Amino acid sequence: MKLPVEGWPEAAGQGRVGVVRRVVLLALRDLRLEVRDRAGLLSILAFFAVMLFIMALALGPEEAPLRRAAPGVLWVALAFGSTLLSTRAFALEVEEGTLDDLLLAPGGKEWIYFGKLLFQMLLLLPLAVLALLMAAGLFYLPLERLFPLFLTLVLGVLGYASVATFYAGLLARLRGREVLLPLLLFSLVVPVVLASVRATTGLAEGLPVAEISDWWQLLLVFDMVYLTASALLFPVVMEG
Amino acid sequence: MLKVAQPDRPDALTWVFLGLGLLLLPVGLYLALSAPPDVNQGYLVRIMYLHVPGAWLGYLAFFVTFLYSLLYLFRQDPRYDRVASSSAEIGLVFMGLALVTGMLWARPTWGVYWTWEPRLTTTAILFAVYVGYFLLRGAIEDPELRRKAAAAVGILGFINVPISYMSVKWWRSLHQTQSIDLTTGKIHMDPAMLQALLFNLLVFTLLYLGFVRFRSLLAALEARKEEA
Repeated sequence: MKLPVEGWPEAAGQGRVGVVRRVVLLALRDLRLEVRDRAGLLSILAFFAVMLFIMALALGPEEAPLRRAAPGVLWVALAFGSTLLSTRAFALEVEEGTLDDLLLAPGGKEWIYFGKLLFQMLLLLPLAVLALLMAAGLFYLPLERLFPLFLTLVLGVLGYASVATFYAGLLARLRGREVLLPLLLFSLVVPVVLASVRATTGLAEGLPVAEISDWWQLLLVFDMVYLTASALLFPVVMEG
Repeated sequence: MLKVAQPDRPDALTWVFLGLGLLLLPVGLYLALSAPPDVNQGYLVRIMYLHVPGAWLGYLAFFVTFLYSLLYLFRQDPRYDRVASSSAEIGLVFMGLALVTGMLWARPTWGVYWTWEPRLTTTAILFAVYVGYFLLRGAIEDPELRRKAAAAVGILGFINVPISYMSVKWWRSLHQTQSIDLTTGKIHMDPAMLQALLFNLLVFTLLYLGFVRFRSLLAALEARKEEA
């Protein structure tokens, strides 16, 4: 059966290309809405700035303790910041009543999860880079090894966003989700935060890449497990 | 949904598990207290007879939660959810026991109650995940969404169990490695100690089975009352 939905790949005979296109379309649409709105983006940026600033003030003006605290502060800021962001991924859909329309689209439902995840990643990564730069400025975090640092950011943020997107979808219709989400997320993503902090610390202290790659491997394993489990569970949980 | 007659009282099997477990508990304690002291740790080793079964049963309980959460998601029968939450509850108790006995052992051995080494950290995370599980259950009013969300935590949270179990091998931590290694099947333990440990493990398993069956029944009664 063919359902003519304008601009959407048709359900009949949908191949891998169709699904990928759906994912990208959804992510780009959300990204456009978010960039046009600006309020959300700006509030998260301001949150990063204020949080890093307060932490820098609290941990004292000496360079050594600041330098030591930098990776931890960076990842805690990212964790809190992305919780703020993940509720936004589904908040608009629920407000406008379009979540049901998405769920009614023929075919599997995994693409909604991947679309939202891609949207999160596209927003979070630039924000994370900005946070990294702020941490470098305020906490003397050395940036010489920019590429390994970026890799750590990508792996850590992906691990975080994969669970955050899943839970944001699950709790989208719930009233107290802003309170509940961090509670659920933080306990689940502690391994990710731990591995990211260790990897960043190692990079800041100038350890050889061979020693840090253990943490990267761990991060990669977590990312894969969380991503697969979330993608498999998402359709089951969103039905009905 | 399949409508099954729900009993008002625990069935015979539940009573057998509970009765045998409670009856054998003093025997297990006697065996633990009469087991020979360790070469290195002396009498302190006897905490192990509570610590190891507690930790194992905690892992087992969370595994059962994982299994029944999966079953719930695919069959949508509230009974599975009740077993999952009951098992998580009992698991928290056993895990708590393992944590407390571990701390009591650590103080004279390592000099501190708590240290942030991998096994302890991963176990604390595990504990936090299942505390979160119950906070979540308490926070959602819609029963169906509550069951679904809880099932998701039950499944995703279980990922930490193998990590916690393997942490002593992967990171070569301060905590001792397994005396009975499930991955290789090797046993590094004196037969007299092993006997006492296995006996306590049996007692704890019986208690666990009894508790879960009992708690699931309670949950069923609660659910029935909520509906009425």
